[in-house]
Amino acid sequence: MASGALTRERDVREAYAAHASELYGFAVRSLADPGLAEEAVQETFLRAWRAGERFDPQIGSLRTWLFAILRNVVIDLGRARAARPTVADGGTEPSVEPFDEALLSWQIEEAMRRIGEQHRRVLVETYYRGRPYAEVAEELGVPEGTVKSRVYYGLRALRVVLEEMGYED
Amino acid sequence: MKIERCREWREALGAYALGHLGDEERMSLEAHLEGCPECRAEAESLVAVSRLLPQADPERFGPAPVPPPELGKRIAATIGAEQRSKRRQRRLRFGLGLSGAAAAAAAAVLAIFVLSSGDGSGPEQHVSFRSLPAGVKIAATLEPQAFGTEIHMYVKGVRSGTLCQVFMRGPGGEAVSAGTFRYRWGGDAAAVLSAALDLSRAKALVVHAGNRTFVAPLDNGKATLHTQPQEEEPT
Repeated sequence: MASGALTRERDVREAYAAHASELYGFAVRSLADPGLAEEAVQETFLRAWRAGERFDPQIGSLRTWLFAILRNVVIDLGRARAARPTVADGGTEPSVEPFDEALLSWQIEEAMRRIGEQHRRVLVETYYRGRPYAEVAEELGVPEGTVKSRVYYGLRALRVVLEEMGYED
Repeated sequence: MKIERCREWREALGAYALGHLGDEERMSLEAHLEGCPECRAEAESLVAVSRLLPQADPERFGPAPVPPPELGKRIAATIGAEQRSKRRQRRLRFGLGLSGAAAAAAAAVLAIFVLSSGDGSGPEQHVSFRSLPAGVKIAATLEPQAFGTEIHMYVKGVRSGTLCQVFMRGPGGEAVSAGTFRYRWGGDAAAVLSAALDLSRAKALVVHAGNRTFVAPLDNGKATLHTQPQEEEPT
């Protein structure tokens, strides 16, 4: 049995503490349904537990492995849901984005959440909203050069967080 | 001096990576990048990060949803229950064992040890055959059922492929078949058998394995330990 295998109840508890929030957050984004997301996370940990002896940290991180399991679970749930008639839910269409694209989006959004508010703010204003640096600087009450340097440190922080999250391009 | 100069360029690299610099500023920065490998590497790395940005939805930068606390408890409870039933299954599974030669060679003298289960979960009996040939283990768990007796067999160390026939003996010495199974190396299925005989009336559990017969007398309800030489021909 490989050491590090996910075979004890304690291993699962630790894995849950470390990764459940991320898995759940992604499942909600991907499935657009908190109830279904709970189901997906529960199924992910149960499958991980049942296949625990096959987990080998030499091959990949626990996080990567759990996301790979969640991927299958979400696909299975998606199939099951596709077989049911869709009920319009406040105008929200269930997400049909392919999993990998959704996972990439979610990782970047999660990284954005983890960087500092100041950094996130300037990236949102200048990049996503396309506002001029001078305007953003005035709104924030800082020199334009400060906005520019925050954009720089913001991107750097994003890079560090993505690396910490195990993002590999 | 150079570091201070680079610092200014560096702080423009974010805007550069996002394509936000005016032509003039961009061109003078690019001229610097030509001659500065460190700044160039940094610029490339930030351009790579900036290429990911279109994938994200800024509407989703707010706090991520948090899993409800009962989710963790529910998973722990399910896994705990599965763990317990797995342990139970494992006890009943065939394990890997020693070669069958040991089984064939040794005398079929056995003792039995009957325990009434102490966990209050039911009147099941654990029967483990003692003084078996070296390397061989045979054990069973008997559970009273409406149809008779459920028998979970555990065999270890006999030759792979060995046909095992299981009987129970009734009050009059009659044999009631509980079925057959084959022991396999590395086999992983529990042999669950059944006999149409009430456990309370059963006098013995009989296992024919290969050319050997093992008989475990049952003394229901009482913990007993006795040795009984037994040599029967298989039917």
